[in-house]
Formats: sequence, C-alpha cells, structure tokens
Amino acid sequence: MTTMTVSGQTFDLDPQRVENALRGQLPEPIREHFVVVSGRRWPPKQVLALVTGLDRADFTTHQARRALTRLGFTAARAARRSNRHPDGPQPATPKPAHTSATAQTLADALRPFIGQWVAVRGDEVLVAADSPSEVVSWLARHQQRAQSLFRVPESEQAISGAAPA
Amino acid sequence: MRIPFRALPAASGGILTPRPVVDIALEGLASAPIGCLLDSGALRTRMSAELAPLAGIELTGALTERIYVRGIETAGALARVSLALTDGTDEFSWEAPVWFCDPWPHPFGLAGLEGFLHHFIVTIRAYDEYLDIEPHPHAHGT
Repeated sequence: MTTMTVSGQTFDLDPQRVENALRGQLPEPIREHFVVVSGRRWPPKQVLALVTGLDRADFTTHQARRALTRLGFTAARAARRSNRHPDGPQPATPKPAHTSATAQTLADALRPFIGQWVAVRGDEVLVAADSPSEVVSWLARHQQRAQSLFRVPESEQAISGAAPA
Repeated sequence: MRIPFRALPAASGGILTPRPVVDIALEGLASAPIGCLLDSGALRTRMSAELAPLAGIELTGALTERIYVRGIETAGALARVSLALTDGTDEFSWEAPVWFCDPWPHPFGLAGLEGFLHHFIVTIRAYDEYLDIEPHPHAHGT
C-alpha cells in the first residue's frame, strides 16, 4: 500500500485497487500520455479519477502519471501518428514483407485483446470490448474513426476453413 | 490500392500467418469498417448479424438461409447495402448483397465473390503479404 496526497486529499493505493477500479471500464482515447494497466493503455487522468473519485480538474496529467508510476505502472508518451494507411505509400517494388515491423507492432498491440472485438487505426488499438456495439458506441462517444473492426482470433484454426457457399 | 496482409497475435506467442483482410465500411457505420477475410472460395459476403443494427440495416422480413460455418449452424439474412473500401487516399464504393449471420463464429467477415470479388480486380501477392485491389472497369460502383 502506498500513501499519496492528490489535490489535498490522502489516499492509500495499491496496484490491485487500481486494477479493480478499471474493471468494466473502457480506456478513453490516448492524446499524449498513457499508463499501462492490465495490458491496456489508459489516459493517466482517467485512471486516477476512477481510482480516487476526484474530479479530473483537480489534478494534472503529470500528477496522475507520477502517482501511477509510484504504484509500479509503466507510463509512456504515445508516438505521434498520422491518419495514413499503416504501411503508408507503397514502394514500386516492395520487399518481401515476411512480416514487416508495422505488422509485428500491430500483432503485439492486439495480443492483450485475443478473443475481444477491437477497433484499430494504423498499428494502434483504439478500443477493445466484448461486443461490436460497445466498440462502436465508444467510437461515437469519442468521435474517433477506426480503420478496422474485428474480433481478434484465438487461434490459426479460428480463421481457417470458413468457406460456406 | 495496396493492402498489407493483417498480422495477428498467436495466443502462444509470436504471430499467426498474416492473412488477406480488407476493411469494408457499411453505409451507416463508416467510423468502423468491418475487417473481412478475403475468401475466394466463398460465394457470399458475410458478416456478423450484430453489425446490422449498428449500421441501421433492417433485417426483419429479409430472405434467410441456413448454413454451417466452422461446424456451427447459422442463419444468414440478406440485405443489399452500400459498401466502401478506402486506404485513406482512394475510396471505392459499390452496392452489393451481404448476408448477416447469427450466430457468427468467425472473427472477421468474409469477403466472397458476390458482394466483393465480382466488383474488383484483386491481385494476391501472398509471398509479399499484400493485395492490390482495383475496381473492375465493368462493375458498378465509383
């Protein structure tokens, strides 16, 4: 348990309490900073607000980051992305991909969400949820556009031999 | 347009063999194009029936058929819908029949002959892990 003061109030927090507070929630869009909790990226202010019940106006992103890194969560800054296609303009004679770094990055980003519906843009997972309606509702609520909506397959077999008439 | 194959994680670590997946936007659900596995052996284009109401597509009274997908019996309901494919630069749109299936055990939709392949010239570069897709000059669409 770590005791910390946020916005003049004292809280006893531990990683389990943070993970419990996020259960059933969906991460909001990442603007710049994020923390990794239970294999997902979350805006630090969203996390700290959910854990403490404080209004987000009561603390800054940096205070939230600091509080969460003290609890052992990884914090990072999102790379700037454009809205172009994941692999961008294509060379006239592409090299045999066998699997490009971008593809590997997307696969790694999808790994925590095997079995879930995801909305993806570039090599970034915007949101993951148990149903497509939750994903679409999240996109509408946050005015986001995805490049692809699908359920991350559990296995090679899940995407093989699917051809009915 | 050129579309790289989709790399997917393997539950045991590493990645699955990348697959040809095209992202097809349903009219009414442009914010979330549906990932569809390109399936040259399938006659129909199929998607989960869960997606139809999200795009405002009415399936009540639609023609239905029962099929087996991955050993599971499913009911497909037919709707003729407006579809679009984009890579962020070019956009192709067309109207086509799509079968919305309930239940739908597949992680992706299936882009088959009707609904997709009949509208395009598709070059599959499996070794290089990408597709080249151009609208067929005789197909209807823009």
